[in-house]
Amino acid sequence: MLLQQIINGIIIGSSYALIALGLNLIWSITDIADFAQGGIYVLAAYVAYYIVTAAKLPFILAWIGAMVIGGGLAYLIERFLYRRWTGKSRIQLLCAIALFFLMANLAILWFTPKAKIFPSYISGALVISGFTVSYQRIAILLVSAALFVVVFLFIMKTKIGKAIRAASQDRLVAEVVGININTVNSTVFIIGGMLSATAAVLISPLYAVFPSMGDLPLLKSLVVVILGGFGSVAGVLVGGLSLGLAESLGSVYISSAYQHGFAFFVLILVLMFFPKGLFGRT
Amino acid sequence: MGDLTVKPDLVTRKTPWKKLILPGIILLVLLLAPSFTSEYVIYVAVLAVIYAILAGSYDLTTGYAGPLTFCHGAFWGIGAYASALLTLKAGLPFWLAFPISGILVFIFAFIIGYPALKLKGHYFAVTTFFFGYFVYLVILNSAKLTGGPMGLRGIQAPEGFLGLNFASLTGSYYLILFFAVVFLGFLYFLVHSGFGRMLIAIRENEDLAEATGINTALLKVLAFSLGAGIAGLTGSLFAHFFRLLHPTTFAWMTSEMIVIMALVGGLGTLIGPIIGAFIVTFILEIMRFAPEFRFIIWSLALIIILLVEPAGLMGIVRKLQRRKR
Repeated sequence: MLLQQIINGIIIGSSYALIALGLNLIWSITDIADFAQGGIYVLAAYVAYYIVTAAKLPFILAWIGAMVIGGGLAYLIERFLYRRWTGKSRIQLLCAIALFFLMANLAILWFTPKAKIFPSYISGALVISGFTVSYQRIAILLVSAALFVVVFLFIMKTKIGKAIRAASQDRLVAEVVGININTVNSTVFIIGGMLSATAAVLISPLYAVFPSMGDLPLLKSLVVVILGGFGSVAGVLVGGLSLGLAESLGSVYISSAYQHGFAFFVLILVLMFFPKGLFGRT
Repeated sequence: MGDLTVKPDLVTRKTPWKKLILPGIILLVLLLAPSFTSEYVIYVAVLAVIYAILAGSYDLTTGYAGPLTFCHGAFWGIGAYASALLTLKAGLPFWLAFPISGILVFIFAFIIGYPALKLKGHYFAVTTFFFGYFVYLVILNSAKLTGGPMGLRGIQAPEGFLGLNFASLTGSYYLILFFAVVFLGFLYFLVHSGFGRMLIAIRENEDLAEATGINTALLKVLAFSLGAGIAGLTGSLFAHFFRLLHPTTFAWMTSEMIVIMALVGGLGTLIGPIIGAFIVTFILEIMRFAPEFRFIIWSLALIIILLVEPAGLMGIVRKLQRRKR
């Protein structure tokens, strides 16, 4: 029972970490807590759902389709909305929240509020000495881990990755030494959109697809960003996994009704005792 | 930080009484409303007045002190449920539960605001957003206490005194109107006092304000908690007027609604958010036929306001005034 909960916690936590990775990049570079990612998450899940069920195409194409939509939407939002208000962070935040509500409510209008069952893409489960983990859940863990490595290598090894790191340390100086900040912004938003879309596609078979599916993952991923601290990939990973664990253990040993409230307590505790996050730069 | 707010008018105007014309007309119409309109219109007017207090008190935090918050609807909800439960379960009279619920919300806001407001950027906004969700979750899940999704029924009207009767529609309508004038008057006094001027200083340049010796963290928390406390008192009035509470009334979309009302009118003017509340409530009533489009239109409206004039109607008015001079 305990081990089962720990495994579930790690798996759900890795999906939070996946969204939080994109949010963290965006937040540390553009200073925007990008609520719009919650809407992108929802729309990407529906795109994948229709590719799999209506077009009857293989799952991998659904994933690619969702990533194209997610990355594309994030790019367009940054290019045509956020960029107008560089430096006016309150307007950007309001716009992000408006976009989040807009996308979630468009999903209600277009796809009805009824939950749709996303067919699972791998069946079967791993059984080890009494407890079972479906391959579906293992896939979430593996894909998240792989994407973390990919994003990490992208940031550390490529030229644009170096520019991203420079911009996250000091935006102004990065611009002075000739880094094109617009390219950096577009890149992090596209990465963020693709990661949110991936998280949505991975999670959908477990919890179905419905218009408000983005609310909780969005809120919890924002908490993970604050928990982990800005500009820290390790922080996102540790933050995501610890929040996942806290929730799955808390729902068993404290109260299942408040499963989604634990993140709030974690947030308040972190703000009180570690205002820079667990791994944040000082 | 002055991007969203109407720039303070530095030229001292010689005719402050002119400012009173518009609020005066609104108040007069509201006072006379019961004698010439239907019961339905009175209910809508009560909602509009309640939203006006909420948008006005929201303006204290976000319009005057600066930080964006997204949990004003939650404070309203805590006040409503606290007051309803104090009268229903603890048997307190309304006139005791009413101030207690306001103080309770003030303390709540202080506890949330104190650690979070010391941080800059969007930290605080995210915290308040989550707090709004958390409150909704608690109301929904504490079914034994709050009735959960079934709602809370049987709330009593405020007790009458000195021959005043607040159980009737007109009686409770005038009660709410009375407190609206008291609360909004208090807010007007507050933003024009030294306290309000210090808040504006924080909003316009926090580092400079800090350097001049203003305790910016404490003042921001105070502005936040006072705004919240008024929202809590408004919640109590709401609960004892409609005598029926439902968790969805206080879900996060309500907080969003209050933000939109304040922005439509123009943050940092007090009168702007009040006018915004009336306009938005009116449009909400017209749009009852198409509920599925409501939130889509509001989200789009918010983006359009941000694109066209983030300082809202009052921002446009001020610009026109400056051009005239």
